[in-house]
Amino acid sequence: MMMTVVIFAGCQQSSDNFGFPPSAMVLRLASNDDVPSLDPAAGYDTASWTFEQAIFDTLVRYGDADVELHPEVATSWESSADGSVFTFHLRNDVRFSNGRPVTAADFKFGIERVIDPATLSKGMEYYQGIAGAAEFAAHRKPHVDGIETPDPYTLIFRLSGPDPIFPHKLAMPFASAVPREVVEKWGEDFSRHVVGSGAFKLREWIGGQRIVLEKNPYYYVKGQPRLGGVVEQVGVNAELQWLKFESSEIDVLEAIPPSEFPYVMKTPALRALTLNKSTVTTEYLGMNCQMPPFDDVRVRQAFNCAIDKQKLIAVINGRGIMARGVLPPNLPGYDPDVRGYDYDPAKARALLEQAHFPHDPKLPLWFRADQTGEMLAESIQQDLALAGVSVALKPVAWGPLLEAIRQPKNVQFFMSAWEADFPDPENFLSVLLSRKQFGSNNDAFYTDPAVEALLGQAALVSDMKKRYAIYDQAQRIVIADAPWVFLIHPVQYVMRKPWVHDFIMNPMRPTRFEPISLSQPTGD
Amino acid sequence: MKARANAMEVIGAAMVASLVLVALLAPILAPHDPTRAVANSFGDPWPPSWRFPLGTDALGRDVLSRIIFGAQISLEVGIAAMAVTMTIGVAIGLSAGFFGGKVDFILMRFTDVMLTLPGLLLAMALVSVLGPSIRSILIVIGIVSWTSIARVVRAEALSMSQRDFVMAARTLGAPSPRLITRHVLPNVAPTIIVMAALGTSGTLLLDAALSFLGLGVPPPTPSWGRMIEEATIYFRVAPWLATFPGLAIFYAVLAFNLLGYGVLRQRAR
Repeated sequence: MMMTVVIFAGCQQSSDNFGFPPSAMVLRLASNDDVPSLDPAAGYDTASWTFEQAIFDTLVRYGDADVELHPEVATSWESSADGSVFTFHLRNDVRFSNGRPVTAADFKFGIERVIDPATLSKGMEYYQGIAGAAEFAAHRKPHVDGIETPDPYTLIFRLSGPDPIFPHKLAMPFASAVPREVVEKWGEDFSRHVVGSGAFKLREWIGGQRIVLEKNPYYYVKGQPRLGGVVEQVGVNAELQWLKFESSEIDVLEAIPPSEFPYVMKTPALRALTLNKSTVTTEYLGMNCQMPPFDDVRVRQAFNCAIDKQKLIAVINGRGIMARGVLPPNLPGYDPDVRGYDYDPAKARALLEQAHFPHDPKLPLWFRADQTGEMLAESIQQDLALAGVSVALKPVAWGPLLEAIRQPKNVQFFMSAWEADFPDPENFLSVLLSRKQFGSNNDAFYTDPAVEALLGQAALVSDMKKRYAIYDQAQRIVIADAPWVFLIHPVQYVMRKPWVHDFIMNPMRPTRFEPISLSQPTGD
Repeated sequence: MKARANAMEVIGAAMVASLVLVALLAPILAPHDPTRAVANSFGDPWPPSWRFPLGTDALGRDVLSRIIFGAQISLEVGIAAMAVTMTIGVAIGLSAGFFGGKVDFILMRFTDVMLTLPGLLLAMALVSVLGPSIRSILIVIGIVSWTSIARVVRAEALSMSQRDFVMAARTLGAPSPRLITRHVLPNVAPTIIVMAALGTSGTLLLDAALSFLGLGVPPPTPSWGRMIEEATIYFRVAPWLATFPGLAIFYAVLAFNLLGYGVLRQRAR
């Protein structure tokens, strides 16, 4: 009798289809952490962008599987000869999910919102190069003069100097078209009530439980999205996600737990369900250069030598390669000749001696609280113990971790990772290691005048070969200064059920939901 | 006439002694350093073999060595926490039983309040506040476990204080503290010892539970509870990782229970 009750309870969940009609194709996902934000001005992490790119549109976007710029709302664009003026021509058939047509003014509003210091957007830095941005930010002008909208479907950006990769910055969700009236209505709560012009609209977001998207009836691409909706349950830990995937409660498994990975790869039927991509990501240990003991470069170099990165890769079942520098291998501008720091515990101890490193300070290592993070952190703890450094583990949830490391003089030692936003070294070196990003993404609070100068120089160069050479010089200084322990460039593996089609992995962005279809409705 | 020791007592005592020996001699007995990787089994634990009799975990550490060193922590916490429990519980129980009246009333109501608080949850909350370390765990476990000792000691102390020899001593003018320590306590002692033995199995389990929840002694110190927690995710591919620490906890709890009940039965004869 109990069995029948339990079976019926299980059936109820899916025949319910999360409130969608039974024949609808609903993609079911799960994740450990809740999505930090759906506000395109605020979200700056993989989870937020996964949904923002579904709900909002930008002028240009990357292809499903590449990092070339393709049209989205802009059908075409051109730049001036010196690379400081960019003109975009917009489609006229794009609408927000509330029915209102999208015009150039909506992009202007969205970008101005990011530039406005009051929004506290982490993407501010990318648009400072637009003429008039500083005046607008200082509230001396009501608008950014450099963003011109001569007619509803033309958008002109005048920059204060050449920026050859500026269009890439418009492919980030920061530069989405945002409806002014909705932002003004909801104010700070906009993230919970987002309205965009993307393929999907937000149907429901119960914090800590789930996010539900449904098709945007006004989406301008005919035939897309093919899904009727997307449901992501949050707060589901890695092990539970695995179990749900096995029992077909979710359709895609975004992170295969280390404990199951060897089993998956050894089992042909499961291996066939996996997809992988070399991410354009660097995982690193940030060392706060403004806080002792990391204000001494010898200590930072010692830590680099003390940690066995090949062991870390083995702990995650070989899903990665050792990082020798800041830039990952698939990033244009990567230099295969940088050496980085090999595992050398003797050298580490010698350097720590020289630096008179205090013994047993019980250094806390902050890291994202999940199974993989725990194992990597323990391995790092082991290695540092051999070098005479005792480290205490401090697992923290992802959102609070990001907040904590951004405060100055707060966290000395933490594990983090950076995935490329656009295919250029600027996205790593300037965003993570320039003084201008203190309190934003430069969580090691590192700064060096020579590096700063080189970064400023490189950003203006449009001859890519010369540009990469200058960035390379900067990178080499950074490697010698070692604000980070350069750990790994991970390879991401996901699994998807056989009935999930066109789940396409992009080297630099989360997989888009638009092309995905399911060959059996989840209403069964 | 000295009664013959019964089987339970003897076995229990032997098991406890073996645990103590293992804990004391851990550095000699353990074949490897429990915190270092000694095998290349990262992400893919190895099953038991001649080289590693209990296998290795996902970070390359020898399970046997970790179990042996785990005994140190388990006993340390179990026994020290019991000492804290005893101190609080005996003090309260003796005072309540001996002085009676208002003192008894207040102390027992306080005990009742403590009994209403769920032990494990209270322990979790306190450890979260104090931060996980050996010292805070000892104190916390001690704080949540004293109530049963207090009650039993109170009952014994109550009956003791009505006995003739205590009445006699009181009539002769012996002050209360002297009465308690010289007359009541020695007679309550056997009960206390039994409760201590039985209680240690409880504190051991509580420590394992806290470690399992991540609130125990922090890594890299090996503790049986935490070993089980780390092993749950591998249960399907490497069940030995959770089984051996589980067996160790089982053995330790059984040891103290046998000892306690054995002594109890002995006295009851």
